[in-house]
Amino acid sequence: MTGNNQANFVLLPVSEMLKTALSTNDHSRSHALDNPIEVAVCVRSAGYPLRRAKRPRQNHHDLLCIALMALTLVPAVATAEPLVTLPAPAFELPVLPPVSGTWTVMVGVGGEYKPDFEGANRSMLSPVPIFAIRRAGSAEQFRGPRDGASIALIDFGDLRAGPVGKFVASRKANNYTELNGLGDVSAAVELGGFLEYFPVDWFRTRVETRQGFGGHHGVVADFSADAIVPIIQGVTFSAGPRFTWESTKATAPYFGIDAAQAMATGLPVFNARGGAHSVGAGAQLSYRFNPQWEVHSYVEYERLLGDAAASPLVTLRGSPNQTTVGMGASYSFDVKIR
Amino acid sequence: MRGPGVSFVMVILAVSIGACAMFETRETKLQPIKRIGIISAVGDEITFARAGLTGLDTSRQSFPIGSWGLDDLIVQQATAALSGRFQVQPVSYKRAAFAMIEKDSPVAPVNFIRGDPFKKLVETEVSPQGLDAYIVITKAKANFGGGGRKVEGIGFVSYGTLLASSNHVHALYEIRVIDGKTFDVIEKMAAAPLDSAEPVRLPGPSRLVDESFSPRSGDPARNESLHRAITDLIARSLPTTLSDMHLAETR
Repeated sequence: MTGNNQANFVLLPVSEMLKTALSTNDHSRSHALDNPIEVAVCVRSAGYPLRRAKRPRQNHHDLLCIALMALTLVPAVATAEPLVTLPAPAFELPVLPPVSGTWTVMVGVGGEYKPDFEGANRSMLSPVPIFAIRRAGSAEQFRGPRDGASIALIDFGDLRAGPVGKFVASRKANNYTELNGLGDVSAAVELGGFLEYFPVDWFRTRVETRQGFGGHHGVVADFSADAIVPIIQGVTFSAGPRFTWESTKATAPYFGIDAAQAMATGLPVFNARGGAHSVGAGAQLSYRFNPQWEVHSYVEYERLLGDAAASPLVTLRGSPNQTTVGMGASYSFDVKIR
Repeated sequence: MRGPGVSFVMVILAVSIGACAMFETRETKLQPIKRIGIISAVGDEITFARAGLTGLDTSRQSFPIGSWGLDDLIVQQATAALSGRFQVQPVSYKRAAFAMIEKDSPVAPVNFIRGDPFKKLVETEVSPQGLDAYIVITKAKANFGGGGRKVEGIGFVSYGTLLASSNHVHALYEIRVIDGKTFDVIEKMAAAPLDSAEPVRLPGPSRLVDESFSPRSGDPARNESLHRAITDLIARSLPTTLSDMHLAETR
């Protein structure tokens, strides 16, 4: 959780899954909507522009309604027979696994109600498209809403590690009245590594450490733990604590106020330093009716700490309490490539 | 604008055509293959595991089931499925060597560096040599559930939830086609799940079963229901997998 306006993308092991996210322009921080378990792929992404104007907000609602209606019109094929069979590719690259075989394609839509920017006290609903492709039968691994896109290059089953990345969308000052005069913060890409450990099947601990490039050049470390409880077959509830640490270079661009910004905004000068950034908790519930249909919802709460919470942007114009609520539905079908 | 545009299209076409010429498809590689040998090392033991909501002890148990003759059955069924297209010749091999080999390292880059471990094994442990290709059928390993549980080969998994639990039997295997001259892997595919509407699916042939299939009901090697269920999974999935690999006629 760095700054604001983040979007998560899920990467999958190429040999097993490909998840792709359909991201939209200028999206704000987004959360994963589905659990691609296993490395599979999905994407999540993010919302639409965060403008306060009434019209864009109405457009979001319309888009969400249309997408949900379209999803309900998809035929409920309750068979593992492929919906589509495609011809074999004209050629194959020797270094890549063959694409022939059966693939599971997941499409869906969700909605996410989240703060306009990190530290904001107002939220809005944004549609979130879901699209994922993975090898048929490859298991979906548990994935938390805040997880970055990751690939497990080391996989002992209970211990997994590998590279991780996260995209932090730009923060446009003219999109929100609270930010007027603060100037824009460019989009950032955070790259680093993750390590997760399952002491038992139903409990996951995970840490991500990422270096920012672009909008900020600091270091961000996300810690999380999730108890993953299957209630009955197909219904899974997960919940656990979260903690984020950020360096000064990751905090200052979003929460610091220099003299020029103070003049333009009327806010006091504030030198934001790094340290404990936020603490919170999250919960997720998913219900897979059958191999085709799944619905899910989640809530993530975080309380800003340290200089992020002490920034005049938060104390005078925002809130240290940040809550994100999301839900969505997805439909999976098989595509066979000869 | 038109000049560069046309040039770009021509470059793309040239690269595409060149790529087609450089990289043979599996169909192309399979075409000259006539004489094949079939190797199976899947069914020497059955594992019992717990997944989902479990206690702290999640260790697995293994029981020998060599008496079931699953590998002979696999060779027999694969021979039947492939003999329409290939000339299948009997081969001898050290089954234990194929069953014991560590197929994939947990560290993915190691797999890229060391190559397929069966390449050397086919070259040294199989006779006769000199066939056009060898079909190698071995246990597959895959993740199960949302946690870190891995399942492999022939097995029984008890999946626990808060309100109920379910039992699954599985037969996870993968098939390689190894060139008889270069010993390169021409094709590799894991058997896919069978048609099923179960919300919890294993990443390969599997089905729900009741408690009578559990090892708690007695010696697994003598459990006829378990034996029949596993045999059925293999019999139903093998022709499909061979067909998906373009080795056998479409079902």
